[in-house]
Amino acid sequence: MTSATSAHSVVEPTATTRRFAGSLVVLYAIITMIPLVWIMLTAFKSPDDAISYPPKVLFKPSLEGFCNLFTTRSRQTPEFIRSLGPPQGMCDEIARSRNMVVAGPSNYVPRFVNSLIIAFGSTVLAVALGTLSAYGFSRFRVPLKDDLLFFILSTRMMPPIAVAIPIYLMYRTIGLSDTRLGMILLYTSVNVSLAVWLLKGFIDEIPREYEEAAMIDGYTRFQAFVKVVLPQATTGIAATAIFCLIFAWNEYAFAVLLTSGNAQTAPPFIPIIIGEGGQDWPAVAAGTTLFLIPIVVFTVLLRKHLLRGITFGAVRK
Amino acid sequence: MSVDVTPSIARGGLVDRLLRRGPLEAVATTIIAAGVVMLMQPFLLTLYSWSFATTLFGTVMFTIVSKVRE
Amino acid sequence: MNELSASSRITYRAVMVRPGVTRRIRGLSDRALAWLFITPTIVLLLAINIFPLLWTIYLSFTNYRANRSNVPTIWLGADWYQSILTDPDIWAAMQVTAHFVIWTVVIETVLGFGLAYLIDKKFRGHGMWTTIILLPMMLSPAVVGNFWTFLYQPQIGLFNYVVAFFTGRAASSFQMLGDVTLSPWAIVIVDAWMWTPYVMLICLAGLRSIPDYIYEAAEVDRASKWRQFWSITLPMALPFIMLAVLFRGIENFKMFDMVNLLTGGGPGSTTEVASITLKRAAFESWRTGYSSAFAIILFVTVFGLANIYVKALNKVKSR
Repeated sequence: MTSATSAHSVVEPTATTRRFAGSLVVLYAIITMIPLVWIMLTAFKSPDDAISYPPKVLFKPSLEGFCNLFTTRSRQTPEFIRSLGPPQGMCDEIARSRNMVVAGPSNYVPRFVNSLIIAFGSTVLAVALGTLSAYGFSRFRVPLKDDLLFFILSTRMMPPIAVAIPIYLMYRTIGLSDTRLGMILLYTSVNVSLAVWLLKGFIDEIPREYEEAAMIDGYTRFQAFVKVVLPQATTGIAATAIFCLIFAWNEYAFAVLLTSGNAQTAPPFIPIIIGEGGQDWPAVAAGTTLFLIPIVVFTVLLRKHLLRGITFGAVRK
Repeated sequence: MSVDVTPSIARGGLVDRLLRRGPLEAVATTIIAAGVVMLMQPFLLTLYSWSFATTLFGTVMFTIVSKVRE
Repeated sequence: MNELSASSRITYRAVMVRPGVTRRIRGLSDRALAWLFITPTIVLLLAINIFPLLWTIYLSFTNYRANRSNVPTIWLGADWYQSILTDPDIWAAMQVTAHFVIWTVVIETVLGFGLAYLIDKKFRGHGMWTTIILLPMMLSPAVVGNFWTFLYQPQIGLFNYVVAFFTGRAASSFQMLGDVTLSPWAIVIVDAWMWTPYVMLICLAGLRSIPDYIYEAAEVDRASKWRQFWSITLPMALPFIMLAVLFRGIENFKMFDMVNLLTGGGPGSTTEVASITLKRAAFESWRTGYSSAFAIILFVTVFGLANIYVKALNKVKSR
C-alpha cells in the first residue's frame, strides 16, 4: 500500500484505498438509515400495510396515520353513520370507511405546543444566562474559577432520576409540578451548564484587543460587551442555542416523571398513542416523523459545530 | 484544573516528589475506578458492599488533591 | 469575521465619545460586572440542583415516603445505605448495568474508531456521508426506544424479518424484547446504533489532530503501514478515544429513557439497569428515603467519574 505517484504527498491515501474506505462508510450509512427511513415510510401506510408480513416496501400511501394522530374517533353502527350528513374532510371520510366517526382533536397538538414552548423558553433563558457567565469566566479573574466551572459541568452529569426525586418534592411544595414554568426552569438549569462551557470556548476565541480598543475609545466594559463581543459571538450563540433546543426537545426522563397533563411534552406522549387493539403504529410513526423532522434539519445546520457541542467546547476542530 | 507539565523534579526529596499533584491525582483516579469496578463486578458481594465507600473516598481525595500544590 | 469587527468598530466610534474613566474605577466595575454576570447562573444551579441534592442527602437518612407525608419522619442513620449495599437484587441490577455499559462501550468504540479511520481517508463526499451517519445520535432516545419496539416485533418487525431473511429461521421464532437471553442484547444493539456516531466524531477529531509530518518522517524511516498504525495513529488518538469511552460509560451508567421505553426493565428484571430500579423504588413503590440513598450512591459514582472525565477533557484541550 505505498503511494505510487510522486505528485502526491507520501501520506495521501491512494485512489483504491479511498474508494474502498468510501464504499464501507456508505454501506454503514445506508444500514444505519434503514430504521429511520422505515419509520417514516410506516407513517404513510394504512394500518393493514403497517403490520403485514413480509414487511411491505411498496404500498399505497395513506394519510390514515396522520388522521389518527390528530383526531380521536369513536366506533358507531353503520345505520348511525348513514344518518349523518356528508363527511367533513378527509379524516372523517377515512374514519367512516372503518365504521367510525371523528369525535374531536387528539392531544398531540397541545403536547407538541408544550414541547415548543418549553424548548424555546428554556433555550432563551439558558443561552442568556450562559452568555453572561461565559463572558465573566472568559474575561475576568474569578476566584475558584476552575472549581465553579467544574461545579457547573457536574450538574449536567447528574443522573436524571436521582435529580427528579427531590425536584418532584420541591415542585409539589411550591406548586410548580406539571407546569410549563417548572419544566422551563428545570431544563434551563440542565442546559445552562452546556451553554456556559460552549460559549466560554467561543468567547475565548474573540481577541481581547477588540474590547480593549473600544474601552480606550471611552466605552464602558458593559458597552464593549454588548456592542463588540456579542456581535462577534453570534455564530457561537446560535450553535449553542440549537444544542440547548435539541436537548430540551428530546428530553424524556424529567418529562415523564414530573408532568402528567398540562405541561406534558411530546416524547412521553408519543409512546402512549393507542389504537383499537394495541399500539396504532402508523399514528405512532406519524407522530415520530413530525417530531424528528426539526432535529434532522437542525443537525444539518449544526454539522460544523457538532464536535464542540458534544465535548463541551473542548475539542474544536 | 490545568494540566501540570513542568517537569521540575530536580529539587526536593522523594517524599516531596510523591506528594505532588500528578501522582496523587493518579492514585485518586485509580481509587475511583476501583470503586466503580467493585460496584459492578459479579464475583464477590463483599466487594460490592464496600464499593460506595471506596468511590466516595476516591472522589473526596481527588477533590482535595486537585487543590493542593500546583 | 474581520469585516464584522471592522464594521462594529466604525459604529462605536460614531456613537461613543465619553470622558476617560480612571483605571481604578474601571477595575472595580470589572469585578462587580464579573459577579453580576456569573451570579444568576450560580443561583439557578443552587436552587434547582444543589438544594435538591442536599435535600436528597437528608432524606436518604430518613424513612420519608412521598405518598404518606403525614407519617412522622424518623431519622434512620445509614440504614438504607447498608440495606442497599448488601442487597443481592440491587447488586444484580448493577451487573445488568455493567453488561449494558461494557458491551455498548466496546462495540461503539470499535465501530466508531473504524468508521473514523475510514472517513479520515477523505474519499469523495465524505462530508455528506458523515452528516448522515451522525443523525441517530441527535434524536430523542425515548422516541428511538419507542420505534425500535416496532422494529423488534416478532410478527411484523423489520429487524426480525431481516434476521430471518439472512439466517433462514422463522421471523416469529424469536422475541428480541421478550426473551431473557436476547433482551439484554436488544438494548445494546439500539444503543450502539444510536451512539456509535458519537465515538466516531470524537475519534475523527483525534485522527485529524495528528500532524502529517509525523507520518512523513515514518515513511522516510520506511516504517510499515501496520507499524505506523500501532505506534503513531493509535497512541496519538488515544486521549480522544478515552474521552469518548468515559463519556459513553457515564451516560450509559445512568441510562434511563431508551431502556425504559424499549423493555421497561423486563422481561423479569433482565434489563433492569440501575436507573430503572431507582425509578421503580422512587415513583412506583414511593420508598422515597430508600431511593434517595440509592440515588446518592449512583450520584457519587457519576461524580467520581465526572472528575476523571474533566481531567481527560483538559488533556485533549491542551493539544
